[in-house]
Amino acid sequence: MKYAPPFHRTNGFLPVLLALFALAVIPLVFTDTYIRHTLILVFIYAILASNWDISLGLGGVVNFAHMAFFAIGLYSYGITVKIFGVDPWIALALAPVLAIVFAALLAIPILRLEGIYVILVTIAAAQLLLQIVVSQSDYTGGTSGMVLLPRLTLGDYRLSSDGRIGYFYLALLLLAASTIFLYKLERSALGRAIKALRDNKYYAIARGVSEGRVRLLTLCASALFPGLAGGFYGAYLRVASPDVFGLGFLTMTLSILLLGGISTIWGSLIAAFVITILAQLLGDYGSWRSIIIALLIIAVVVVYPGGLFAALQEAWGGANRLKTNMLAGYRRRAQASVRAAAMGVEDRLVETRHGRVSVCDTQTGDKAILFIHGNSSAKEVFRHQFEAFRGDYRVVAFDLPGHGVSPNADPEDDYNVEAYAEIVADLVEHLKLGEPVVFGWSLGGYVGLEYAASGGPITALAICGTSPVNKYPDDMPRGYIATPHMELAGKRFHSPSEKTAYATHTIGMKKGLEPLLWQAVWRTDGQAREQAFAKLKTIDWPRQTRLMRDGTLPFAMINGPRDPFINHDYCRSLAYGDIWGGTPQNVGDAGHAPFLEDPETFNAMLRDFLNEVETTRTANVPRETTGAGRAASDPSG
Amino acid sequence: MISLDTFFFILASGILLGGLYALMATGLAVVWTTLGVFNFAHGTFVALGAYVAWQVTQSIGGGAGFLLAAALSVIVMFGIGFVLHYVLVKPFERNTNLVLLAVITTLAAASIIENGILIGWGPRDKQITPPIEGSVGFFGASINLYDIVILLVALLTLLALALFLRRTSLGRAMRAAAQNREAAELMGLNVSMLFAITIGLSAATAALAGVFTGSLRFISPTFGADPLMKALVVVILGGVARFTSPIYAAFIVGIAESFSAYFLGLYWAPAVLFAMMIAVLLIKPEGLFGHRSKTL
Amino acid sequence: MSTPLLELRNLGGGYPPISVFRNISLSIGNRESVGFFGPNGHGKTTLLKTVAGLLDPWEGDILFAGTRLNAEGRMRARTSRNLNYDLFRRRRIRAETVVRAGLIYVMQGNLLFPEMTVEEVLDIAPRAAEGRQGVAEMRLLVDDLFPRLCERRDSKIRYLSGGERQMVSIAVGLLALPRMLILDEPTLGLSPKLRIELSQAVRRIRESNVPLVIVDQNVEFLTSLVDRLFLFDHGSITREIDAGSMPSHDEIMTMMFGETL
Repeated sequence: MKYAPPFHRTNGFLPVLLALFALAVIPLVFTDTYIRHTLILVFIYAILASNWDISLGLGGVVNFAHMAFFAIGLYSYGITVKIFGVDPWIALALAPVLAIVFAALLAIPILRLEGIYVILVTIAAAQLLLQIVVSQSDYTGGTSGMVLLPRLTLGDYRLSSDGRIGYFYLALLLLAASTIFLYKLERSALGRAIKALRDNKYYAIARGVSEGRVRLLTLCASALFPGLAGGFYGAYLRVASPDVFGLGFLTMTLSILLLGGISTIWGSLIAAFVITILAQLLGDYGSWRSIIIALLIIAVVVVYPGGLFAALQEAWGGANRLKTNMLAGYRRRAQASVRAAAMGVEDRLVETRHGRVSVCDTQTGDKAILFIHGNSSAKEVFRHQFEAFRGDYRVVAFDLPGHGVSPNADPEDDYNVEAYAEIVADLVEHLKLGEPVVFGWSLGGYVGLEYAASGGPITALAICGTSPVNKYPDDMPRGYIATPHMELAGKRFHSPSEKTAYATHTIGMKKGLEPLLWQAVWRTDGQAREQAFAKLKTIDWPRQTRLMRDGTLPFAMINGPRDPFINHDYCRSLAYGDIWGGTPQNVGDAGHAPFLEDPETFNAMLRDFLNEVETTRTANVPRETTGAGRAASDPSG
Repeated sequence: MISLDTFFFILASGILLGGLYALMATGLAVVWTTLGVFNFAHGTFVALGAYVAWQVTQSIGGGAGFLLAAALSVIVMFGIGFVLHYVLVKPFERNTNLVLLAVITTLAAASIIENGILIGWGPRDKQITPPIEGSVGFFGASINLYDIVILLVALLTLLALALFLRRTSLGRAMRAAAQNREAAELMGLNVSMLFAITIGLSAATAALAGVFTGSLRFISPTFGADPLMKALVVVILGGVARFTSPIYAAFIVGIAESFSAYFLGLYWAPAVLFAMMIAVLLIKPEGLFGHRSKTL
Repeated sequence: MSTPLLELRNLGGGYPPISVFRNISLSIGNRESVGFFGPNGHGKTTLLKTVAGLLDPWEGDILFAGTRLNAEGRMRARTSRNLNYDLFRRRRIRAETVVRAGLIYVMQGNLLFPEMTVEEVLDIAPRAAEGRQGVAEMRLLVDDLFPRLCERRDSKIRYLSGGERQMVSIAVGLLALPRMLILDEPTLGLSPKLRIELSQAVRRIRESNVPLVIVDQNVEFLTSLVDRLFLFDHGSITREIDAGSMPSHDEIMTMMFGETL
């Protein structure tokens, strides 16, 4: 299952819309032909580079005959209009057809080849084509090329009149169409098959992807728009010369692609602007221009191989981190009273080995309960429990680093379940909680399990909305129901609509009702989400399952029956040494966060559990294992 | 039909071309098999080698000048190749996209060298004066003595290179580094340095090829493109299974080029070569000689 | 105990950004051989590759015969995902230094140099021991240990069987005159007959007073050979067992995985 929101719901929508608008307006503001000409070149380079990415980035087929698609488009336009006298528009439409035919022919020899051989064969194919073009001077004009090709007209209107404005908009239209095509292709079944072949060829073939067919389609898809752009180029410059086969043209396009970053559409588009405009600016320096551009390319590839788009993403990520951190700092001060009103107690920052975290602590009571919240949430999610249990217990909750009003922390070291468990251990020590009861929700459930499994002092453990995992990642699809929103849990950047969807599904409520929790989703450091999920694989999962199976720790699982994420049958099927009530419990009619949606029922259940723990503890009778485990899956692996 | 002496003349010139191509292609193949990188700057190494030698012959004339020029050019190009490894390949040697990144850096290096030549020596054609004159008869065809010397020197250089790689400890270490980098490191070999020496040697053979080519034809800043394409055809045609595979292929290409240039015309000769190459790839992608694994 | 030959202090490492092992501290004496046992994929090979200098340690120190092999301090964390850190960050340890100090690592399932002959490989193997005495004697020992290699001295490694390749690997390690030899699963994937042959060779190397560090999946083989055994699980040493109390295979299984089956 793949989560693929429509484009207008993603973060990229607004920048793209603005860029398109700016490009459409520029020629109206600057009537200078030179600017329009430069931009038309930019568009052509952008089309060439971004389409090259289909074979090179998406497909991992390093096709060096890509420029030949363009050249074929160019020469087919030239020959059909000049020699056969075809209408320019029909010739323009024919150009991509011929390019695709060549791409299909090219697919045959490279089908059996890998890696560097593909580079060599495609270079050879392009050179062969060049030699044919040069030798057939009757049709192609030989080394000097064809000149004075017919131009495009709409009725009587020449596209070149009014300072080439017609050509400008046609080129922009081509670029837009090409970009939409690429965007759709990448997300289509074919796009996924292309990527699958690149990433794990034999696995993809074993899953039914036909290598030959997909490679053929990859090349044909990457020939469509370059062929069209070639035809357009012929109509625009009215010249077809064999220069387009040269290493210079190839190097230029390839540097745009690599500078922008491979496997992204947008990278090539941005880099096309940067490089083409830089090349035009340096135009007066002759040979030095090429040297400067080449040095720049080497510098970028050597120092920052990710390219421009990756740099933009990183800058965006940095800004996002800064923003969320400042937001947390501001709310820590400005909304202290709002939070205190909700929780009945003011929060404060406590130092741990993974940075400072914001803690709510009722201070009184000799028996402590520690609540751990889930992904992209905050401690305020437990406010009903603070109200209900503060009379009898010392109730403690904290914001995980990068969540709520805790400051952001180091992504590599601090944003993972093991680090969170260490924070719990530090809090238990610093706040002198003795042997607390730990309640973990969702991601916090794993934190609680990890804390208990690593030997932290604990009286009892209850988890909610968490599917215990024995073998990662195999158990994840068993333990959870595949919904698009599972993908959001580990996604770094959410668009506003994604944030809304995520918040609605996790806390099961509408916007106005829980403003603090609603804000928490917005505040969460994207890297906390990303890193915690990426590092799930380093957790010692069997240790957690052993803990539950051994039954030495009083343990409860309290879930919402309408939880959209967890698979209840899976949770019930696991082997538990001693689980409260003999099986995972359900709370009324609640969803993922029963303690928030149906606090009365939930609190009553939790109290029952706590009382039972208390009685067994005071009675100090060795308890018999209830042996709820049926059809135990063997967790030793 | 052609007369016998024409035939032998074409054959002889084909063999001479083959010798030069072998010199160019072997360097390319050695770098490919050792670093797994296709060096697009190899053609410009040939050109730069020729220009360096030309510069020396301008100040010192005669046979001694030519020898000095050739020696200096080889040494300078070895140094340049050695340094370029640390600039173009080493920085991302652990990157999974090494092949692609090396393509772009070597292409960029080619552009820099080519434009550097243009700035340094100008766009006008130049030629190195051949140090030896005279010719000998060969089945009725008259062959330049100098051509025979070139062929012999080229073959001797390749033989020396082969012996170096097989018999000396350093050469064996280079082959070890080429075949299994980690295992070579675990034997205490300085793999980066060995790789740099490899590129240096490849550039040195390219320089020698450049000196010879420059004394046979005119040289211009863009003169590197043709040797690169020829070396590419040779390497694909012969494969890289053995050290000798590209050498055999070089002679096949040289002879085929001479004959097709005579019978089909100058424009068609390259097309014949590329078509030959594609045909070989379709039937036997690993090259005419041997299996597909890389070796040195 | 005098200064240990190999000492690891709080060593941590992995493949950035994933940490594979943490806080490994151990010391191995001058005449001691130790074994590592643990499930596959839990970081044994990564640890040994780090000690051998193929991977950079993240933190902690590797000391061999009293000298530190790695650069001081911790590895700087990556703050950017795309910056080419290989360019800015110096290697914190180099295989060359480790090998020249006499700590030799024989890789797991090593393919060596497929296109070189056995003789050529054995010829360049002593380069690591440059300037030290005893290569000739070691060569005699190697010839004695692996008579098969003498028979096949002119074959390319490519044409050798898995067991013969493993023999070449060990021979290459020995010719570097190891002060300590690390063998990573020397009997992996071999036929029972070759396994016995290689085990005997390893035993003889042990008897010739080369300290060994052995990783293997065969508990009996390990326990009969080593003075101490480390159980390795989830990137850390979970237990250390002395020669006197070597447990059986089943006991070790119980220790590592609890009561099972």
